[in-house]
Amino acid sequence: MACNHANKPGGGGVMKIHEFMTRKIEFIDANKSVYDAVEQMVDRRIRSVVVRFSGKDPDYGVLTSRDIVFRVLAKGIDPKKIKVSEVASKPIACIDKDTDFADAAAIMEKSNIARLFICDKGSVIGLISLLDVMAAELVMRARGNHVS
Amino acid sequence: MFLEKIFSHGKKERYVIEDIRRHIELLCKACDAFTVALEKQNRDLIWEVVELEREADSVRRQVISHIYEGAFLPYLRPDLCKFVEIVDEVFDVLKEAAFYCVENKIPEPLRDESIRVALLNFRMCDMLMSSFEAMLEGQDLREKTLAVRIFEKKIDDIKHDLSKEAEGVRIDNFWAGKALSDFIANLTMISDIIEDASDHLQIINVSTR
Repeated sequence: MACNHANKPGGGGVMKIHEFMTRKIEFIDANKSVYDAVEQMVDRRIRSVVVRFSGKDPDYGVLTSRDIVFRVLAKGIDPKKIKVSEVASKPIACIDKDTDFADAAAIMEKSNIARLFICDKGSVIGLISLLDVMAAELVMRARGNHVS
Repeated sequence: MFLEKIFSHGKKERYVIEDIRRHIELLCKACDAFTVALEKQNRDLIWEVVELEREADSVRRQVISHIYEGAFLPYLRPDLCKFVEIVDEVFDVLKEAAFYCVENKIPEPLRDESIRVALLNFRMCDMLMSSFEAMLEGQDLREKTLAVRIFEKKIDDIKHDLSKEAEGVRIDNFWAGKALSDFIANLTMISDIIEDASDHLQIINVSTR
């Protein structure tokens, strides 16, 4: 019997971040306007987009709804007249897909960020948010091996 | 053991509990084998899923016959039978998903997410096993039922992504498209049925208090 994910049923096996991550990630070019980003985020009902900066190697930043509201809209700046690259945060916080939830939560707390990107060979493959960490906590509590 | 303590120390009850435990264990093994089969693209493991389904079928018959021979108090029997039937339904859907993989290769754009769903399905089975053991101990199942619901919600999200991704896959003919569509439906339906089983376990647990 080839059981790779647990030694015995009911015994579990360690849960990793990639099981809970969201792969639905939206990208936007750094040269686009913030208005384009707003359109994309509202249309897809997402709270952040990954910003792709042009260059040889993949280079990413992140633009969140918080950045847009606080740094652009609240200051009365026209979102059509400002580029994504001027508002986006860079670099993004990346973790490995095999990171465990306790470490992810610690990184979020230390860096005071709400989302971590899961990167593989220089590419962003997923995203984990505060809500995902909370859901994982509930699951691990039910399994008897919780994060906190 | 909670159920045994409350209703009887009889042989029949012990057989039923052992068989239900075995039934869920087989489901965990089948889901695990299926996940590994997808990861390693191993057809032998796919056949193992089919074998496990057959074994589970005979365990289900044993459970039902022991219950009808008089194990447990009458009011509890239909619920126990129903629980076993729901778990058996998971086997049926899993087998259908496995058959697709015998004759077809999962299209590359859908592969990673299909493996993730299979792994989450396995996690749900594991949680179901854990819930069953907790029920026998007389524990509250609230946390475990919630965990099952979280997994189900996660799979539901992936289901939409899979369906959207499938629209871009090149399909040769109607039947190939139908088979792929059925595969996605079956793979993502497993979690719904496990959630039903988990809810039913909760009902049994409440009714024994």
